[in-house]
Amino acid sequence: MAAVIITGALLIYGTHDMPAWGDPDSPANSHVSPRYITEATKKTATPNIVSAVLADYRSYDTLGESAVIFTASISCFFLLRRIRNKEDHND
Amino acid sequence: MTEYILAKYNYWIYVVLMMIGLYAMMGKRNLVKKLIGMNIFQTSIILLFVSTGVKKGGATVPILMHAGHEHGAQLIQVSDYLNPLPHVLMLTAIVVSIATTGVALATLILIYKRYHTLEEDEILAIRRESRAYKTPRILNPTD
Repeated sequence: MAAVIITGALLIYGTHDMPAWGDPDSPANSHVSPRYITEATKKTATPNIVSAVLADYRSYDTLGESAVIFTASISCFFLLRRIRNKEDHND
Repeated sequence: MTEYILAKYNYWIYVVLMMIGLYAMMGKRNLVKKLIGMNIFQTSIILLFVSTGVKKGGATVPILMHAGHEHGAQLIQVSDYLNPLPHVLMLTAIVVSIATTGVALATLILIYKRYHTLEEDEILAIRRESRAYKTPRILNPTD
């Protein structure tokens, strides 16, 4: 409990340096994303910038993401399948 | 002072959420409660990143409004649309959190089938008991 409170106090102290909420000129909003907003539709012909970035600029990332889901589903499948086999052996 | 609070209170909300998740992971003994704490922790991180993409002053979701029309395509104002990058990255994070939650729940089902409890201390007690019975035989096979 004490460790949790100390960590929380340190994190709240750390927010002192964060940009203000909704600031249009914060570093996250002013360095890379304007280029995506202005160029994405011209380059990918997709009005939705989120899907343009997800499926065009970062399509390899999305491929890896689907690999993550595939691994998770396969591991769930084998984790839960083994039990049934064991029960069959016991019966 | 009020301005400062209004500018930073979203981060404080996420820190509080994150600490709730951290306490659930560290302080609780039930494994399902630990898993829920991990989910709260991940949700607070996702909210933190999405909140960095917010722009005040009439910005809307990053879907271009006049993309089909030739005359409107050149008039894209950056301040009219929210930052799309945090949304994209947090989509990935949501997918990863769903995957970890699924695997963890499957593992919890296995643990429950084997020990018939999800309380951590009871599981440790059962393991200690079984080890106490087994170790002498393993250590001294000749006796």
